[in-house]
Amino acid sequence: MTNKRRIGVYVCHCGGNISDHVDVKDVARTLAGEADVEVARTHLFACSDASQQEMIDEIKDRKLDGLVIASCSPKLHTFTFRAMAQRAGLNPYQYVHVNLREQCSWVHGGDKAAATAKGINIVRAGVAKCALTHPLTPLRIETQPRVLVVGAGVAGMRAAIALAEMGLSVFVIERENEPGGWTSQVGWMGPDHQHGPEVVAKLLKEVKNHENVVLYTNAELTAKSGHIGDFTVTIRLCGEKDLTLNVGAIVVATGFTPYEPRDGEYGWGLPGVVTLKEFRQLLEEGDGPLTYRGVPVRDVGFIYCVGSRQTESEDCPEPNTHCSRFCCMATAFSGSLLHEHEKKFGRTINQYHLYRDVRTYGRLETVYAKARADGALFLRWDPSDPPRVEQRNGRLAVKVKDTLLGDEELEIGADLVVLATGMVPRKNGALDDVLKIPKSKDGFYNEIHIKLRPVETAIDGVCIAGTSQGPKNLAESVASSLAAVARTGALLKKGYVDLEPLVAKIDTSKCVWCNECLKACPYGAIERVLYGDKEVATVIESSCKGEGACVPICPQDAIVIEGYRDDQIVAMIDASLKETVPA
Amino acid sequence: MIRVSSDLAARLKKEEGFNAGSCFHCGTCTALCPLGYKILPRKLFREAMLGLGDEVRASIPQIFSCLLCRMCEANCPQGVRIAENMRTLRCLITREDFDLT
Repeated sequence: MTNKRRIGVYVCHCGGNISDHVDVKDVARTLAGEADVEVARTHLFACSDASQQEMIDEIKDRKLDGLVIASCSPKLHTFTFRAMAQRAGLNPYQYVHVNLREQCSWVHGGDKAAATAKGINIVRAGVAKCALTHPLTPLRIETQPRVLVVGAGVAGMRAAIALAEMGLSVFVIERENEPGGWTSQVGWMGPDHQHGPEVVAKLLKEVKNHENVVLYTNAELTAKSGHIGDFTVTIRLCGEKDLTLNVGAIVVATGFTPYEPRDGEYGWGLPGVVTLKEFRQLLEEGDGPLTYRGVPVRDVGFIYCVGSRQTESEDCPEPNTHCSRFCCMATAFSGSLLHEHEKKFGRTINQYHLYRDVRTYGRLETVYAKARADGALFLRWDPSDPPRVEQRNGRLAVKVKDTLLGDEELEIGADLVVLATGMVPRKNGALDDVLKIPKSKDGFYNEIHIKLRPVETAIDGVCIAGTSQGPKNLAESVASSLAAVARTGALLKKGYVDLEPLVAKIDTSKCVWCNECLKACPYGAIERVLYGDKEVATVIESSCKGEGACVPICPQDAIVIEGYRDDQIVAMIDASLKETVPA
Repeated sequence: MIRVSSDLAARLKKEEGFNAGSCFHCGTCTALCPLGYKILPRKLFREAMLGLGDEVRASIPQIFSCLLCRMCEANCPQGVRIAENMRTLRCLITREDFDLT
């Protein structure tokens, strides 16, 4: 048997997770005698420091040129063992991971012989793949120290200021005439009595005064090309003039849209049924005691969870299942504002808060406590029997079953019924086609990992911030915006970025430029170039994710993905079809 | 169905010291009552705050039998001044129903 390669095969017990169901020693013994395998052993825990050190020593001593580790899912330890290979002086891309736990022992418990036979086959496939690896180097890309921030609400402006303070150049674009977003329209905000327009004005002053920030209003992003660290973006100004910018990263803070109730939903459409925002305008913009259409207001009903936490029904085929997070606090806070108003004008105004569950979490609990102390009466309704709003003798009548009064049905006469409408995803139109940020089921932009990578998106170099990602109150929105700043700053201040070399390669001798790969690629990583006189496709390696849509679509069979080349896959299939003869 | 009376609710609001708004309906008060009356302060106060006059008046025997021992009040996790609220209700009912002036 001639050995072309010197591959080390390490089979992990994973405590007993693997070895209870697969005879790992048998797997190692069988592989030890096969072609290209220099050494095959087992480890109790391959990921432990001691085992890693033993493997490193052996890679060095026996001058191994390939590594196969058969253990848990590659999702868990690919990067662990790549780093280990690197420390041993082996190219990390000459290590192949075999999933012997999730794809064998965990699914074939109870039949050790069959599980062992399968284990041998999948490790053989790993060896066959490894034998055809060659050293790969990550692509090092220089980054541009400039950032595009999309949206000049509080999240966008706060991000712009923080990025500018890092020494980066920042371009902020805002689709509307005026910067400031929704916060500029909300008046007083809980829990600490800050005034929305004042907060916006303060930020805007900083944005305008900072030499590193340029703000464009009436500006829309219409095109994006390039890749992480080096994007070229086109901005349309006032719908006519185009501006081209070169930036290293993009922060998207496009905000939300308030939920618009359906006709008749909680009386929507009847005079006196208003949204929370409209109520606050009535309360804060008038000079005298609160009136609605000339009539003094004596009783106000607030209905919570309008447009949030919906369940599917005939009236509501596409429910918003999320909680909008800010509305309980904002509505309870409005109760306290109404109480202040009541004291100021010496008039009693009764307020009834019809809620499902009060979610004034953390410090916001104080807002709820204060509202109750201020005379707001909270009545809890059940979603199976929501409040009904009707018109009666020129006033409104709200019928609600109070669960805290033993489901007694009450009828409350009201001059105003205030709907606490939640947040829904903003319709960003063409921007979505330009940025291609994945969305979650609720329609908001999606992060890569909800806990560990909460602001990065699947599009490298593009972070999301604020309520474009999902409902948030202002403090949370700013926290996410500064998280996006931290990720963007870390990327651009380093000056370069290393990308996976597992990308598509095009055989220019086979390629006839039929355009199919360009159409299939979701990342815009294919370009047409001239190769001599011939038009061919080429891969923008920094944009390619190696996900492979172009490979099977190519009629000339001219494309391979590095790390998953056709010859490797064929070799793996051949190897796993070998008859298993345990040693 | 019961109609909420904002007039009674408003009159009650003017009585300083009535503070049942922070009640979170745990029922500790009811469990601790040494009279063992079927008196539910949490329910009674809620009816009062909603201005449900008839429902409140249905509890008149209990309202006036309360010992004001403050066992409930001392143990209320939300700091509702239960005994004080009972006195407030007595005042209101005395004034409005019995007209002792």
